[in-house]
Amino acid sequence: MAGKVNVRDIGKHPERQLTHIDPQELLPLPPPYDRTNEERPWKEITQEQKEAVVSNLDDTIALGVPKPGTREEEERLVELFLSGLRKLLTRENNWTFLQPLLLSLEHCTRCQTCNDACPIYEASGRNDVYRPTYRSEVWRRIVAKYIRPGGKFHGVFTQGDIELNWTTVSRLMELSYRCTLCRRCAQTCPIGVDNGLITHELRKVFSQEMGIAPKEIHEQGSMLQLKVGSSTGMNPLVVRDNIDFIDEDITEKTGITIKTPWDKEGAEVLLIHNAGEILAWPENPGAFAILLEAAGISWTLSSDVAAYDGINYGLWYDDFQLARVAHKHAEAARKLKVKKIVIGECGHAHKALAVVADRILQGDLNVRRESAMTLLEDIVFSGKIDFAPSKNDFPVTLHDPCNMVRLMGVVEPQRRILRYLAPQFREMTPHGVNNYCCGGGSGFAIMSPFNFRDWRLSISGRKKLRQVLDAFADCPGPEVKKYLCAPCSNCKGQLRDLFQYYRVWEKSGILYGGLAELIVNAMVDIKGPFIEWEFR
Amino acid sequence: MTALHILAYVSVSVFIIAVAVRAIRLATTPVHLRWELYPVAHEKDRMSYGGSYFEDKDWWTTPRKKSLFGELKVTVPEILLLRGVWEHNRPLWLWSFPMHFGLYLVIGFAILVLVVAIFGPHNGIGAIAAQAGRIVGPIGYVLGTCGTVGLFGHRLFSRKTRGFTPPVAYVNILFLLTLFATGLYVFISIPDPMRGFSAFGRELLTFTAGAAPASAAVVHLAVVLSFMMYVPFTHMTHFFTKYFTYHAVRWNDEPNLRGSKLEAAIRRQLTYPVSWSAAHVKADGRKNWADIATDTEVE
Repeated sequence: MAGKVNVRDIGKHPERQLTHIDPQELLPLPPPYDRTNEERPWKEITQEQKEAVVSNLDDTIALGVPKPGTREEEERLVELFLSGLRKLLTRENNWTFLQPLLLSLEHCTRCQTCNDACPIYEASGRNDVYRPTYRSEVWRRIVAKYIRPGGKFHGVFTQGDIELNWTTVSRLMELSYRCTLCRRCAQTCPIGVDNGLITHELRKVFSQEMGIAPKEIHEQGSMLQLKVGSSTGMNPLVVRDNIDFIDEDITEKTGITIKTPWDKEGAEVLLIHNAGEILAWPENPGAFAILLEAAGISWTLSSDVAAYDGINYGLWYDDFQLARVAHKHAEAARKLKVKKIVIGECGHAHKALAVVADRILQGDLNVRRESAMTLLEDIVFSGKIDFAPSKNDFPVTLHDPCNMVRLMGVVEPQRRILRYLAPQFREMTPHGVNNYCCGGGSGFAIMSPFNFRDWRLSISGRKKLRQVLDAFADCPGPEVKKYLCAPCSNCKGQLRDLFQYYRVWEKSGILYGGLAELIVNAMVDIKGPFIEWEFR
Repeated sequence: MTALHILAYVSVSVFIIAVAVRAIRLATTPVHLRWELYPVAHEKDRMSYGGSYFEDKDWWTTPRKKSLFGELKVTVPEILLLRGVWEHNRPLWLWSFPMHFGLYLVIGFAILVLVVAIFGPHNGIGAIAAQAGRIVGPIGYVLGTCGTVGLFGHRLFSRKTRGFTPPVAYVNILFLLTLFATGLYVFISIPDPMRGFSAFGRELLTFTAGAAPASAAVVHLAVVLSFMMYVPFTHMTHFFTKYFTYHAVRWNDEPNLRGSKLEAAIRRQLTYPVSWSAAHVKADGRKNWADIATDTEVE
């Protein structure tokens, strides 16, 4: 059977791939996406690339870590990995997650209940390597055998044997980027063990000890954000120029004069968008500007470095990068003396700033933080804006960003808006806190090295694609235009790529977009349609 | 005093001390960053769909509505009926539930034995306990035996678990099977085991020694007492660590409020020295967490 891999195999046969992905085994899609011979061939990894970088896990590469040139270098990296694991289990270096980590280290009963909750495992055709428990099991065995006293005997008996070598470490490194940290698995664990957390902590060892992380989320992500102001590369001058363009476009399109306020001291709301919206989906910040102005809310954007970009990629791989960016966001709010920060339509920005960084922000840096979903709900039901829900009379479904919903509990505000403003709103199955990840979580949406894009669209996004198609099963053809509301910038990035890959717009007529746009589309004062039915 | 009496005192002491040490160790780990997972059971009115106080505009101005009843509605069926396994892994539940419920009944039987030991078997509460024990005990041992046999087979033959089960997991199941099977044999082979067990219980409580119980009962008691000593050193401690996984992690949504104890605890932890090696962290073993987290300079 394809995908049958033993835990101990991870350290064996470095010259071979640990597993292969068989297109015939993948989760079936409904018509007209059900012909496996129409599965797009993956971009080929060249022999040169295979020789240069670690590529022996599966059929893709997420990190592209150069292969060590000598045995000594391999041994040094293995030692560094072990030293990172030891630090992970100390109070000083890892107080941030020590308690949950110990609980997940010591109490898994290996019942494998969590496996079926994982969309990657399911979509892959149940390949053992993609079980949520596979990487956790490898990690537990390494800790038991190589970190705990007497591990060579006791650890092997209690946890099972494993060989720690460069092959194990390098494959584990890649494997820590085959999970979107959606934590659906943790939800089903009867004990409360969290394989998503274990993936997160492994990524921390690679980043914080070994300096290894995907360049898209480290060098071009959190580091660029701290240096220039945004992972998009926009510095404060450029972002102001771009917002000026958006203001002009929106004014021209709607007839409503929009002038986005910058650095307004004492404003009620400091709005922090994911800056990706400004470049890729300018209608979203435009829609927010219309709604905030129409509702008469005192608001502002900040032009301080990092504070006009809500992203915080540290959430996925590095506690210090998370804390640094969160501090920059909070400092900007303190400086402007705003009443609160409102986090725009970006799931991971929600979780990073409102939830995970909550306890890091001390004293007057602990500025109150709120989801855009509640603000939008308040605006919609405030009575200050007239709406005509009939303007949204097309099939609409809602994608629940994991970070905002399962991991933060913001579930109903967006639904109350959609039930009011979208007459043909229908839920996906399952939805809310039981949703499936878009497949782009934990940084995947912005990662496309080698052929990783093929992997994240064919495998990690597959379950979501099927769910979206099923939600519109009553009107499957392209003649009925449909709207997938995804109030998260990263999710939109993944859905854009997914829809392009499978030509969903051409075959099924499904457009993806944000929530604010859908709200503005229903405004009586907006004469023409705000949503442009063009796939971008 | 026989070896069995000594074993009983030792195993009870080891069990209590080891569980306490483990619980204290977990309870005194540093306050961690928030990592909750919804639904959070104490969210009054929102638990049914998994909502949180973040759904309220200006949530910090609204009094939090926490519901103990909400937590009980989740924890009681989870503990008694293994609801999580029922919902997410029905083939496992088929064996795991009888094993766990059998164990609960056996623990109940042990408590009844102690009640009889204290009050005597002939009158009032002691007589009721003795009668209840004669019903609860055999049912517990039968359920437990069936459950553990099934679990062993499940581990061995299910594609899900085969290859992902460490040697110790089989040992644990076999240990439990021995416990249940020897208990069942006692009920089959001895006319009224309650009498012998309660006599032994009374001896333990009064630090005296009497006639030795029947040999089948001695074997069973030795297995039970050995198991008690063994449990705190295995993952079977989930019977109490589950409290932490749920209350300290999954449902821990306590916000960091200015001037709170939580804020003070974190402030202390921010002084911990950091020694991670990656260059971008800029740690040297002396700089503390706060120094590093606020160093946003990038070269």
